[in-house]
Amino acid sequence: MASKITNWLDERTSWRQVWDAIFLRKVPKVNWLFTLGSASLFIALNQAITGILLTIYYVPTPDHAYDSVQYITTQVPLGWLIRGLHHWGASLMIIVVVLHMLRVIFLGAYKFPREVTWFTGVGLLLLVIGFGFTGYLLPWDQKAFWATTVGTRIAGTPPIIGDYLLRIIRGGTEISAVTLVRFFGTHVWVLPALLVILIGIHLYLVIKNGISAVPKKGM
Amino acid sequence: MGEQNELSRRNFMQSAIWGIGGLIGIVFGASAVAYVVGPSLKKQQTETWVRLGPTSKVELGVPTLFTFTVQTQTGWIETTEEVSVYVLTTDARTYIAMSNICTHLGCRVRWITDQDKFFCPCHNGEFDIEGDVIAGPPPRPLDRYDVKVENDQLYVLIGG
Repeated sequence: MASKITNWLDERTSWRQVWDAIFLRKVPKVNWLFTLGSASLFIALNQAITGILLTIYYVPTPDHAYDSVQYITTQVPLGWLIRGLHHWGASLMIIVVVLHMLRVIFLGAYKFPREVTWFTGVGLLLLVIGFGFTGYLLPWDQKAFWATTVGTRIAGTPPIIGDYLLRIIRGGTEISAVTLVRFFGTHVWVLPALLVILIGIHLYLVIKNGISAVPKKGM
Repeated sequence: MGEQNELSRRNFMQSAIWGIGGLIGIVFGASAVAYVVGPSLKKQQTETWVRLGPTSKVELGVPTLFTFTVQTQTGWIETTEEVSVYVLTTDARTYIAMSNICTHLGCRVRWITDQDKFFCPCHNGEFDIEGDVIAGPPPRPLDRYDVKVENDQLYVLIGG
């Protein structure tokens, strides 16, 4: 019965071909370091699910942000778990993504024909840092406020454009309601949209080119 | 034999992946459901008697409107909700207190003195002086509160 349905679907969509290309592709003999990319993807998925759930209660305005986060953590059933997964997942994401990059550098996996995969990977790293930076402000507690004060001041240090840059990021001269919503909007709409596009290209190239083997001595 | 070993290893990995993946999916799914529906299942405020005012305020044979405010905690916000109650007496001894919330879809009804009826502007629901439906879509009479009189003061039981 089940195979009848999947066959029916396969005749019309060729999904088995896609499935095989993704999951049954040939890979060289590699080690556990080669799972760091999949690990990043898994954490990204975790961040997406828990992030969507957090928006069900979170309100990005100065008079509600902190209280709604406290409400999630202390009142909502398993709210502490959902927030905790998102909070710790964020830190883990940075760690795993950096380790993934180091593996690609040290094993020379960025070389021909995988340069474009590397370029998109650089973009993904910047996006992940952007997620971290914008997400850090959202709890609207003392740590968030002062970290963003410092972070935006750093953006304001370049000569000539620095002051404009700072005001564009803050949406004014001070950190305010405007700053909070634009960080929120960036965190939940702009960056995820870019992330999905770049992950799509990144994974397409990983599958298209195949993964690199562990380099041998003298080669 | 080598081939058979390879096959069983593959099968083992396959079931392990589906098993662990399924478990993670169930944990995420169940947590998400509890997280989303949690506040909806929370019990509302407990029963309390609220003082409306002196019985002398109630006109004989005319539904008289009393309003009071209730403090409620919704999510992380403390709100004051205004509640209105129509009180009717025909003998100045027994009182009935009716909610002004239309039993159709929750709009507020008001007493129209010249027509001797409660009228709901949303879908033209009409109730008589005791709150029974006389026209329109409401499925049941206006809800009533328990009433008590202490020292010539009216009280209604809310919550629960």
